[in-house]
Amino acid sequence: MKYYCGLDTGGTFTDCAVIDHDGQITIAKRPSTPDDYSAGLFDALETCAVKIGISLDELMQSTEHLFLGTTVGTNALLQMKGAKTGLITTRGHKDSLAIMRSAGRSVGLPIEKLLHVSRHQKPDPLVARNLIHEVSERVDWKGAVFLDLNEAEAEAAVRSLLDQEIDAIAVSFLWSIVNPDHEQKLRSMIHRIAPEVFVSCSHELIAKRGEYERTVGTVINCFIGPVMKSYIEKIETRAASHGYDQPILVLQITGGVVPSSEVIQAPLYTIGSGPAAGVTGSSFLASEMKSPNVIITDMGGTSFEAGIIYGGEPLTASETIVNQYVFSMPRLDVQSIGSGGGSTLWVDEISGTLKVGPESAGADPGPACYGKGKVPTITDANLILGYLNPDNFLGGSMRLDKEKSIEAIKPLAQQMEMSIQELAAGAVRIAESRMAELMRQMTLQRGLDPRDFVIFSYGGAGPTHACEYARELGIEKIVVPLGSISAAWSAFGTLCADILHVYEKSDLLSQPFDIKHINEVFSGLETKGRQQLEDDGVAADRIEIQRFVEVKYRMQIHQLPVPVPPGKLDEQDLEGVFAKFEDIYEGFYGKGSAYRQAGVEIGLFKINAIGKLVKPAIPEQSPATEDPRTESREVFWPLLGEQVDTPIYTGLQLGPGHIVTGPAVVEYPETTIVVQPKATGTVDPGGNFIIELEATAQ
Amino acid sequence: MTAQAKINWDGKVYPYIPSDPLKIDPSIKLHTSVADELDPISFEVIRYAMWNINVEQGNTLLKVSGSPIAAYGHDFNPCLLDESGDFVFFGPFLQYLSSASGSAVKWTLENRSENPGIRDGDIFLTNDPWIGAIHQADVCIFAPLFWKGELFCWFANTLHQWDLGGTTPGAFNPISKDVFWEAGCIPPIRIVEQGELRKDLEEEYIRRSRMPDLVALDLRAQITACNVARERMQQLIDKYGPKVVKGVMKKLQDNSETAFLKRLDTIPDGTWAEETWVELAREGDRHVYRNVLRLTKKGNKLIFDNEGTAPQIGSINCASVAWKGAIASMISAQMLFDQMFVIEGAYRHMEFEPTPGTLTCAKFPAGVVSAPPTVLLQTIGLAGMVISHMLYCSTDEVLQKEVQSCMGTLCFPIDAIAGIDQRGDPYASFLLDPVGGALGALSWRDGVNTGGWPWDLQSTMPNVEDNELFYPLLYLWRKEIPDSGGSGKFRGGNAAEIAYVLNDCDSMTHYTTGGHTIIPGPGLFGGSPTSRTRFSMVRDAAVRKATATTGNMPTALEEIDGEHLNVSPKTGGVVQQSDDVFSLAWTAASGYGDPLERDPQHVASDIENLYVSRDSGERQYGVCLDDNGAVDAKKTTALRAEIIHDRLAGSRDQALQTMPESPRDIQVSEGLVISASDDDQAWCCAKCRTRIEAVDNNYKSGCLKRVTEVQEVGLAPIDPGQFIDDLIEYREYFCPGCGLLLQGSFCRPDDVDFQNISLASTQVANSG
Repeated sequence: MKYYCGLDTGGTFTDCAVIDHDGQITIAKRPSTPDDYSAGLFDALETCAVKIGISLDELMQSTEHLFLGTTVGTNALLQMKGAKTGLITTRGHKDSLAIMRSAGRSVGLPIEKLLHVSRHQKPDPLVARNLIHEVSERVDWKGAVFLDLNEAEAEAAVRSLLDQEIDAIAVSFLWSIVNPDHEQKLRSMIHRIAPEVFVSCSHELIAKRGEYERTVGTVINCFIGPVMKSYIEKIETRAASHGYDQPILVLQITGGVVPSSEVIQAPLYTIGSGPAAGVTGSSFLASEMKSPNVIITDMGGTSFEAGIIYGGEPLTASETIVNQYVFSMPRLDVQSIGSGGGSTLWVDEISGTLKVGPESAGADPGPACYGKGKVPTITDANLILGYLNPDNFLGGSMRLDKEKSIEAIKPLAQQMEMSIQELAAGAVRIAESRMAELMRQMTLQRGLDPRDFVIFSYGGAGPTHACEYARELGIEKIVVPLGSISAAWSAFGTLCADILHVYEKSDLLSQPFDIKHINEVFSGLETKGRQQLEDDGVAADRIEIQRFVEVKYRMQIHQLPVPVPPGKLDEQDLEGVFAKFEDIYEGFYGKGSAYRQAGVEIGLFKINAIGKLVKPAIPEQSPATEDPRTESREVFWPLLGEQVDTPIYTGLQLGPGHIVTGPAVVEYPETTIVVQPKATGTVDPGGNFIIELEATAQ
Repeated sequence: MTAQAKINWDGKVYPYIPSDPLKIDPSIKLHTSVADELDPISFEVIRYAMWNINVEQGNTLLKVSGSPIAAYGHDFNPCLLDESGDFVFFGPFLQYLSSASGSAVKWTLENRSENPGIRDGDIFLTNDPWIGAIHQADVCIFAPLFWKGELFCWFANTLHQWDLGGTTPGAFNPISKDVFWEAGCIPPIRIVEQGELRKDLEEEYIRRSRMPDLVALDLRAQITACNVARERMQQLIDKYGPKVVKGVMKKLQDNSETAFLKRLDTIPDGTWAEETWVELAREGDRHVYRNVLRLTKKGNKLIFDNEGTAPQIGSINCASVAWKGAIASMISAQMLFDQMFVIEGAYRHMEFEPTPGTLTCAKFPAGVVSAPPTVLLQTIGLAGMVISHMLYCSTDEVLQKEVQSCMGTLCFPIDAIAGIDQRGDPYASFLLDPVGGALGALSWRDGVNTGGWPWDLQSTMPNVEDNELFYPLLYLWRKEIPDSGGSGKFRGGNAAEIAYVLNDCDSMTHYTTGGHTIIPGPGLFGGSPTSRTRFSMVRDAAVRKATATTGNMPTALEEIDGEHLNVSPKTGGVVQQSDDVFSLAWTAASGYGDPLERDPQHVASDIENLYVSRDSGERQYGVCLDDNGAVDAKKTTALRAEIIHDRLAGSRDQALQTMPESPRDIQVSEGLVISASDDDQAWCCAKCRTRIEAVDNNYKSGCLKRVTEVQEVGLAPIDPGQFIDDLIEYREYFCPGCGLLLQGSFCRPDDVDFQNISLASTQVANSG
């Protein structure tokens, strides 16, 4: 039997999903081991092996691919626990990182904090000022050398950084994206002087214009580089010791995987990749279910995240913001708001209204029902309403104290002159409406109608709220993917990824267009992509190249990506691309917004070089033969306006053919599905829990 | 102000002030009914949705607009107004535009409701600064939404246009004598009629521009943004019903009013004022003009006036719409940060009493197109200062934390550039680097270096690579300027400077508009003033050749050979040739409190971070470091004592009295307390309790005074005579007892000491 193993290292838990050649899935959830994350990973693998009934060595020896999703780099960055990094940049521009284009004081803040200017502050520097060195050299916008690299200055800078005992050196020169010669020379010099030092050059990581974002990316790459290198090497060594002889495939923020050797050079692409695995898994499932349009929702303790699959493709964005630092790189577009189980409830005295978040009680002290703190949260509200089972939280590993929840919410209820249940229901409604707002924004701003979508809901808290945020958007179908597997959805998601390399080239082209040049740019990018995939060991017939240009009207700043057909382009193809651009443009901004007279420009070329990996099909489940057993408890249903003795199902006992009529609650070990009144739950042959909502008067 | 009774505030000669109530043609029915009861949960849900509708209007504008100034400078703002043009939400972008859209809508209700009429699907456009624009480049587009025949609400957005005609390219005009030299004013026109863009009016509108395609694209952006918001609001009404939605709008306004009043309650009645100076009304002028803002708090009212402000001149004037917007933007930032900037509640309690015919309340046909980078920004700075003076007196600790010194980029140094670009196309633009600004020092921490402005929440400097791609230039450097932030107990944020040479072209023409090249902006409570704006040119620098020889890139003007010239802040065309270097620096934020009160450890860490030079650490802060960069406590104490000794050198002979601390004391600034004994009410020093002056007088008359010529203040000495003929001096006011620096002020030699503060006698009596 052949296996595919997916691993996902998070801050708290390490998940593993193993799928065998017949499509049988086994999952495990084990504590993460921050001192040596590889220990937790192999613990989770071994747990799966035991469940399957083989040894870890047997599992590893028969594993076709080992996939890895990781937040180790992201965590190192958030905790500012990375390598001591030096930066060498163009003379005259060392302050770029500190200036942060000025926007660094507020970029990425939630609205409540954005409006409070007196609290705006730039984050701690990624590189101390005395570790930033300038070197005389200059290239202009077209790549022409204005001033040669001053090698004496460069060497002095390198030696000075070495004296300062840095672990890594970031090299970021202006316009290295059009002429990388100076960065390459400096890297050779550093290798010569100090071969052991980790070096990153900006042009290799980010192809987009904009020295600030490129420098940030390069510096972050260095900052987490040594940490990620040792993390991955440890996993490789262990995997090899158990008999796995293939490269480990690591998930990136693009939603694709690459062999670990590339991640060691460019760990930057794993930053923010946490949600990417979920999107990748959802993409796979969406195509299996023939649902081209999906809104993906993931709700955990501190945040609610949403992504979109449209026409079978996950939508992408081009910027990542971490801790008010911005870097540009293509990524899956997953947006987040601070509405999680831990979001705190409070009353704004002036308006006399109930507020939810943006502060979160986090995991410590956590919601009041955890027993450590007294702050009321959404989780407390869910417990009071009866949605959550106090004895079956996190697989029963934690008992929730409902009395503590009531105690915490009571003062708010008194202040608002509501009953405790009404207040809890109100808070939940506010939180759910915010989630719906985020999804509404993400779809409508792209000219998409949310009613054309299905919702996928996972994460510990997502399926508890999905009915209502779906209803709010007029969406009638919710999928809790693969039922119980949804608890290790990210680990499963990594298994669904293909190898993906994204190559971009910034190039501002105006009319009349030089078709020859355009073909040359694409052919250059494609050659690079194919070469890389060949090096990765991808067979020619499994290679797929997707091509895009980013187009804008002349004098506009904002560009829109437009797909480009394969092969050598002629005038007519190009005209087709611009026609498509105008379609997309008017789709986004409404009929009549296009204005061809202004002229069009191409600002960026991009290809996705994809190496298709083989994926086992998930077998159909046979229909359930026995009726499910239910228990019951009192649950307050705002839609009914009353507390009702409600059937509680054990999710693992449900199968195709069972019908769960709302109101009802379905409990899986790690997640609780709330089936609201006027909703019906079923299990499809793929093992997904499906909720269908009746259209309501709203 | 009695003459104002006869003034016709109709937006023709004098700025428009709405009638109360509005005179609207009876054919228009306003939707005013609200739900009897509004449950608080629905309120919160709808409020959030409504905020997002407005933000979406802004984001649409941002994405569709062509202007770099929208993308980087955020020179736009979307808003949602109720049926009569009162604000519901104003977006989180550029704040000073707020007064304009409300005014435009109200004027239109009063003047267009009969002819041509206001119907569902119509969209109006105006750029008239006497009606509903900050200056002519700020074009306001606004659209009504009807519900079953009743006018339900309005959407409006204002967006800066690069060029709408006039005698110089661009949105500012350094040579203008009056409005007829500038882009023309368009009172509200109905440019979209029931959903159809009127071709004739569009062509009439874009015909005036040097860049008609860009203007046409931006017009579509603005219309699209309105339509998006209108559609979303329609859905919201469909879902919740018009009465509930309208109820939420009214409650938002009422809540912000309640919050505002609650805050006013913590503040004693009094008057606070600040002044600053505008340099050069236009090219060729050699004078400076005073800009005064005074805030009187009386019960539940804030009354703003500009008495003492110079008469209108050149193109730097604000019509009062702009002046109000400037003030409102800082009220939002400092007093409504937790009320989603719902300014309407505050507007209900703000009164504006400007003297017409002045820089800040210009009469038609005064030139107004250059107001934003000059008098308008200054007024925002002044508003922040007078509000800070007032909030310091509040008993609410939350408000005290909003006290802040003067922001950076107090005048925006407009470096408008024009010529033929590297692709052979004509270009005309201005460099947006100065949006980098700097945030003022707060009463509890330092300002933020290159931290933007307090009234624009997220302006973003273009990358160097962006500018080098768009324009034929090559930056030698873009760097923060150490020591530029005003020194103080808390330091103002540092500003930055840029320098560039030409690339792929032979020449470039510069049109400058700016200020504070000679006279810095004010510090707060003894904090040092802002740094200066600087436009400079180095002729025949031949940097390309020089660097090829030496292999070194210069990083400061002093390292560049050639003829060094300062460029005037109002020039109508200075040509940079291929061997010349152009450089500009914007003003940093001023300081807060006496620099000698700064914790020496903070000075040491500033020096380590290169924010402050060692030399400045000694001269400005009296802090000496040892060879390892640690504070030398002994030397510091000695140096600070020496500086105090110098300050007290002119001490009066008369004996000084001290006043005992009393629970009735009112502390009104870092260094000043109003103290009352049974037979005396006086200003006294908060540090040493020395009695300074009777409370009825300006406290400054009891201070020790030191006068410095303006050129001696700041980073490097300059020659005022290069641009101005007027004499300006810097006066510092010290406590005669302990030498604490209480306030600094720029004025003409003959000016009486400017009165920054006086508390209402009732307030003082109550305390006494």
